[in-house]
Formats: sequence, C-alpha cells, structure tokens
Amino acid sequence: MDSPAASLPLSSSAPPPAAAPRHRRRRLSWLPLAALVPVLLISLPLVYVAVRTAQAGLADVLAELLRLRTLQLLINTVALGAGVTLLTIGIGLGVAWCVERTDLPLRNFWRVAAALPLVLPAFVASYAWASIGTLFQNLGGAIMVLTLTSYPLVYLPVAAALRSTDPGFEDISRSLGAGPWQTFRRALLPQLMPALGGGALLVLTHMFAEFGALAFLRVQTFTTAIFESYELHFDSATAAALSIVLMLLCLPAAWLEMRLRGQRRIAHVGRGAVRQPHLVRLRGWRLAGVLAAFALLGALSLGMPLGTLGYWLLTGSSAGGGHEALWPAIRGSITFATSGALLTSVLAIPLVLLAVRQRSKWAQAAERLPYIVHGLPGVVVALALVFLSLRLVPGIYQSLLVLLIAYAILYLPLAQSSLRGSIELLPPQIENVARSLGKRPLQVFFSIVLPNIAPGIAAALALMALQMVRELTATLMLAPTGTMTLATEVWSYTNDGEYAAAAPFAAMLVVLSIAPVWVFARRMLHPTR
Amino acid sequence: MHHSTRRTVLQRGLSLGIAGALPGWTASAFAADQGPIVLYNGQHKATTQKLLDAFTAATGIKVESRKGSSIQLANQIIEEGARSPADLFFSEESPPVAALAERGLLARLAPATLEQVRAGYRDPDGYWSGVTARCRVTAYNKKMVKESELPASVLDMATAAWKGRVAYVPTSGAFQQQIVAISALKGRDTALAWLKGLKQYGEAYGSNKAAMTAVERGEIATALINNYYWYNLAQEKGADKMQSAIHFSGNGDPGALVTVSAMGILKTAKNVEAAQKLAAFMAGVPGQEILTRAAAEWPMNPQVQPSFGLRPFGDLHPPKVNPPSLKGAEEALELRREAGLA
Repeated sequence: MDSPAASLPLSSSAPPPAAAPRHRRRRLSWLPLAALVPVLLISLPLVYVAVRTAQAGLADVLAELLRLRTLQLLINTVALGAGVTLLTIGIGLGVAWCVERTDLPLRNFWRVAAALPLVLPAFVASYAWASIGTLFQNLGGAIMVLTLTSYPLVYLPVAAALRSTDPGFEDISRSLGAGPWQTFRRALLPQLMPALGGGALLVLTHMFAEFGALAFLRVQTFTTAIFESYELHFDSATAAALSIVLMLLCLPAAWLEMRLRGQRRIAHVGRGAVRQPHLVRLRGWRLAGVLAAFALLGALSLGMPLGTLGYWLLTGSSAGGGHEALWPAIRGSITFATSGALLTSVLAIPLVLLAVRQRSKWAQAAERLPYIVHGLPGVVVALALVFLSLRLVPGIYQSLLVLLIAYAILYLPLAQSSLRGSIELLPPQIENVARSLGKRPLQVFFSIVLPNIAPGIAAALALMALQMVRELTATLMLAPTGTMTLATEVWSYTNDGEYAAAAPFAAMLVVLSIAPVWVFARRMLHPTR
Repeated sequence: MHHSTRRTVLQRGLSLGIAGALPGWTASAFAADQGPIVLYNGQHKATTQKLLDAFTAATGIKVESRKGSSIQLANQIIEEGARSPADLFFSEESPPVAALAERGLLARLAPATLEQVRAGYRDPDGYWSGVTARCRVTAYNKKMVKESELPASVLDMATAAWKGRVAYVPTSGAFQQQIVAISALKGRDTALAWLKGLKQYGEAYGSNKAAMTAVERGEIATALINNYYWYNLAQEKGADKMQSAIHFSGNGDPGALVTVSAMGILKTAKNVEAAQKLAAFMAGVPGQEILTRAAAEWPMNPQVQPSFGLRPFGDLHPPKVNPPSLKGAEEALELRREAGLA
C-alpha cells in the first residue's frame, strides 16, 4: 500500500521510503512516454549531422579537422565560452544575492531592472560596442559584451531559486555559530546549485553557438567557421564535421554540471518563500559600493546599446520607410514566440520531471541531450529541419509547425534550466500523498506538480519568448512564406545598411521584450498571487 | 485558494495558446500546387517588392517573395533538393546562383532574356544571368588620405607603406571573387603575396558595413569594399556630411573588379512559364529601371542608363575577368588559408 503520510521526512536529504519502488514505477508510467517526444525531436539535427558527415567520408572529415586552424578555433571557442560563463556566474550570483538577501533600497526596482539586459539581442549590443572603435573588436571585447547580455540567464534562475529556498537552513546554520560566508557557502549555495549550474551551462552552450555578435566583434570560433563553409562552398559536409566538434565540446560541460548537482536532493515540504529570509543590512560604503556596481552594470549593459539605438532612431534618411510592415511584424513575432514558448514548455516539463524523479542514467542522458544540441549553430538546426521535414513530411514544410519544432529544438534547455530549479524543490512525497488519497497520475500532475512549479514555468516562458522573438536563422528559412517578424525586418534592413529604417523594428523588439521580463519578474516577486 | 486560481490560469493559457497556433499549421500545404510563383529573394526587400508589384501590374501574375540572405537561400535550396518550393532565385551575387547551376538544380533561361544582358555578365551555358552590377572600390577618409595618394593598383595597398591603413573583409563574398580575379590575372603567387601583405599590414573586419563605417568615423584610412556600401551610408547620413569618398582604380586593375547580382530559374519550378516571364521582366527595360533607381548599381541591360550619378558602365574599365569565370571559392579559401587568413 501507499507509504503513510506520517513518515514524511521534512528535509528530504534522506533516501525516499523503501516502500516506494513498485508504486513509483506505476506512478511515472506516462512520464517516459511524454519525455520521448522531445528526445525524438532533439535527435533530428543529430540525424542530419550524421547523414551529412557520412557523405563527406572519414578521410575528408579528418583532413578538415586536423589543421592548425582547428586548434586556433578551439582555443577561441573555449576561451570565449569559459570566460563568459565564469563572468556571468560571478555577476548573476552577486546580483541575485544583493536583490534577494540584502536590504538594498528599491529592491523591487533592481529585481526587474537586473533582468532587463535580456531585452537586447546580443547582436544589437555588439553592434553598439563595435561602433565605439576597435578597442572591443577582439576576444576580450567579445567576452565583455556577451557577458553583459547573458548574465541574466544566470541571474534569473538563481534569483527565482533564492526566493523558493527555505531560509530555515540558513537560520539553523547561523544558530549553530556559522558566519555569513560559511552560511552562504554551506547552507545557501548548495540549494542554488541546480539553478546556477543550469544557467551557466546554458550560457556556455549559447556561446558555442553564438554567431551574429562575433561577426561584429571579429572573433573566429567553430560556429563562425561553420557559417564560412556554408557561405563559401555551400558545403554542408564540412559544416557537419565542425558541428560534431562543437557538440563534443558541450559534452564535458554537461557532464560537469550533472556532477555539480550530483545526487543531492534538496526538496522540502512547504513553500520556503512564504517566510521572509534574514536580510543583510547594507550601510555606508558597502551600500554605496553595491549601488555604484549596479549603476555601472546598468549603464554598460543597457545604457550604451539603447543609446546607440536611439541615435539611429533620431537620425538618417532611411527612417520613415516600411512602417506599414510594423504591425504584421509585431503580430508575427508575438504569434511565433508565444506558441513556441508554450509548445517548448509542454515538451520540457516531462523531460525534467523524469530526470529529477528517476535518477537513472537514461533519464539523465535524455535531459542532457538538449544542452548538447544547444551548442549547435541555428543554421545547422534550421537546415536539418529543411532537409528532414521535406523528406519525411513534405506537407508541413514552411508551415508554423516546423518553425515551432525548430524553436523547441533550439530553446528547450532554456525551459529546462528554469523548470529544473522549481522541480528540484518539489518533494516527491507530496505526490505520494496525493496518490495515496486516490488521485490518478495525471490528476496529481495537474493538481500538485503544475501549480507548485508555476514560478519555474513562468520563468521558462519568459526566457523562451525572449529568445524566440529575436530568433532569425530558423525563422527566415522555416516561417510560412509571406509572414514576417520584427527580428527578420531588423535583419533585412541592417543587412542593407539601413540602420535608421531598422530602428523602429529594433525598438519594437526591445519594447516587446520588456513585457515578458516585466510581467514575469513581477509575478515572481509575488509568487502567491 | 491561490493554487486553484493559478491552475486555472495555466490551463486557460495552454488551451488558448494551442488554439491560437493551430490554424497556421496546415496553411502552407495548400499554397504549393497553383497560384503565385515563389521567388527566393536574396536582394533588397523593398526594391524587389517594387519590381514584383510592377510585374504583377503588367502581367497579372502574382509573386510570393521569400526574403533571406543569398547564401542561406542557396544552401536552403540545396537541402530542399527536388522538393524545393522555389520557382526563381534572385541572388545578391553570382556565386550562389552558379553553385546551384553546378549542382544541376537550374533550368536554362529563355534566349530572349539572356540577349538583353551584356555579354560576359551571364552564364555561357544560359543557366543564370547577371541582373545589376557593382564595382570594387577603395573607400577613403578624406581627412586621413588624399585621393591622389592612393596607388594605381589595389595590389600596392598590401604593403608596409599602408601599414594599419587598409581595412578589408576577408570573409566577404566579393573579396573571394577579388582573390580569384587576382589569381586569374596575375597568377597564384601574386594573389598569395597580396593576401599575406594584407594580413601583415592591413586590418581585417567582420563585415563590409563595419569596414565602411570605420572609414567614415576615421578609425582607419581606407577600406576595400563595393561601391554601394558608400552610397548606402551616404543616403543614410546625407552625402554632404560624408567624411569619406570612393576611388575607382579602373585601368583593368583587379581593384576595379565588377561583380553582379544574378537570377536563375529552378529546374523543379512548378510554373516555369510564369517564372520565365518574371526573369524576362527583370532583364527588360522597366525592371532594370526600377532596380537601378533604388540602388547605386549599374543596369546589365545596356539600353538603361545608371542613376545616382554613377559614371557610365563603359568608363569603369574593369579587369578582363567576368562573373561567370569567377567561380573558384575553393581556390580563394585555399589561398586565404595559406596566407593565414582563414
């Protein structure tokens, strides 16, 4: 029979009750099936890369890879990825801690403001920085600019996790005589690890696939080399060989992140965020230092790029053209991004739930796979879907469905990293109790799991909608003919050198991006509303 | 009970999203068989739309245009293979169209269309044709260098005398064509030495726009680019406010290389007759006028005069290589790799 509710451990660092296995298998029977769908979709680019590499032949692939240039690309790619990841961890964690655990004035403002750099596409920010001069057009500049645009990918999940953690752990740590640093390191940080590691892995794989920003900042990586083989020889075989290297680079990172999280169970009963955590008092020079750092961060990550955008809005004779396309572009952006974000969330939930609940190797590997594919440049994923959809289901080519599948493949990890933090905190015992009271598995999912992970879903939707709204490569190739989005219009105009004509679309893109950041950041401030 | 309200919101949101997404899912399945012809357009969106509107007004044939970068569209057509929905491909430069011709994906253009285009600027086998032409130039910042100081040949700009004063874009398509042209005209060693010189003394930029704006801002004295990048910026900024100007080397120098935008009809086109009509319109006088009034490029139909105050095409004196012979992207890459530029 079901395990009695009385045996519920309050902190579940203990292993789950021994009576569970037979029952758990039954309870989770729908999960592996539901998780199979995203796994199959995410495998599509792998199939394509395999087919194309096989066409090139092993000898050609090795000849392509065993060159001095490959080493240089490797150094650049790893340096960029590692540099940006380490810096985003530092900034993301620091900012999240300041807004959630100190008595910083205007905390609610800073909470939202710190997420705002997400409204700027990396290529807009890098164009702005590149336009200052050659000082930033190198690896160091690229690391700086991309850190400024991507630290919210670490900040948001960590801040959400900080809100959901039980301050009780910290109280106990302090009551046992631990200092603030020790309390942070031993009582708080372990609870943040899933969110922190997930965010960092996301940033790292993101950097591997980055292209648009690097073209302006003059840094060559594997992804720029992949673009080159498409551009110069229309050679998908070499591109596929280079893609394999990129995915291999993602493997140790994905493994490391898994190790970092380990077998730790951090679920707890009750919502910790209901109680106010102990706030560190900031006074005098410490307060001034934090405020100055926040102001500097805001000026660099938001002020500079927005200023450049504003300059182009105000100047130039190509302004005034194409405004009739503004509304169709907004409609396209909203339609694609919202339906894409919803579909991807639906696909991601079972995948993460399975990996958190069933700590089997297969479940873990399945949950890691999207992160590996996330390191692939968008062009490879888009061409994979061109190739496969026309051969497998030609009727759906260049329909919304294929575009949404492309979005899901590209951005599944964004949903996973946001969801993971929430799902890790949900104790399986609550589900056991619900099952013991006669609820069916799907009922348990809708009445227990879904409401409890709502903050994670909100963050997932926000992050995905933001990325999808600015997605370009897959949208250009796969969107239904005749539709347009703000991102494709911005690209179309800047491609022809008409920055001023692009500015209203870029500005709308930014305005549109503010909405999800604002709504979801606000929502997370009041999780019970 | 906040849980139940949140659940309701979630469920409502999900069903709304799915319902909103459904209608579009099957839309493209119907458009395939009949109706408008499909153009894969790598050229300027608004200008091409003007051209297509005029075509539809003249013939009653509707055209659906899909905008993308020429190279991306060519790669897409290659992946699509025989199932490509495209009827016609209009590319910013000739190599993507030539790549499709090489892979046997194109049908021959009608002889009457080809005859409208200057000889030497269309495929000798008739699978594709140039539409408009542009010229490689040296953009220079007027405060940093005088036009008279610029050397007669672009080959002399990859030297110690020009250290730190020449911007070039090693990854740009026209630059590849320039490498091939130098190799064809002056030999492989000269091309290699030129690239090595640029690597040693020049400044590599990631995009032509970036190089052009760098010259305009006075970051660097000169840039090797296409003529229209300057005109684009001048139109944006006002020609009188420009700190930079452009220099045509002429004289058969590879620095004056002429490249073209190009078009080709897909072998798998569903409506070949209509696609041929559009190609004929693009090569004809009305189409050529629309295209060259909108961009600082030369018409490839000799009956049409260029705008923007461009000098007559006959005064460009480009080197004796023409677009159909500028194929060797492989060779260009090989040379760049040997020079350490790739």
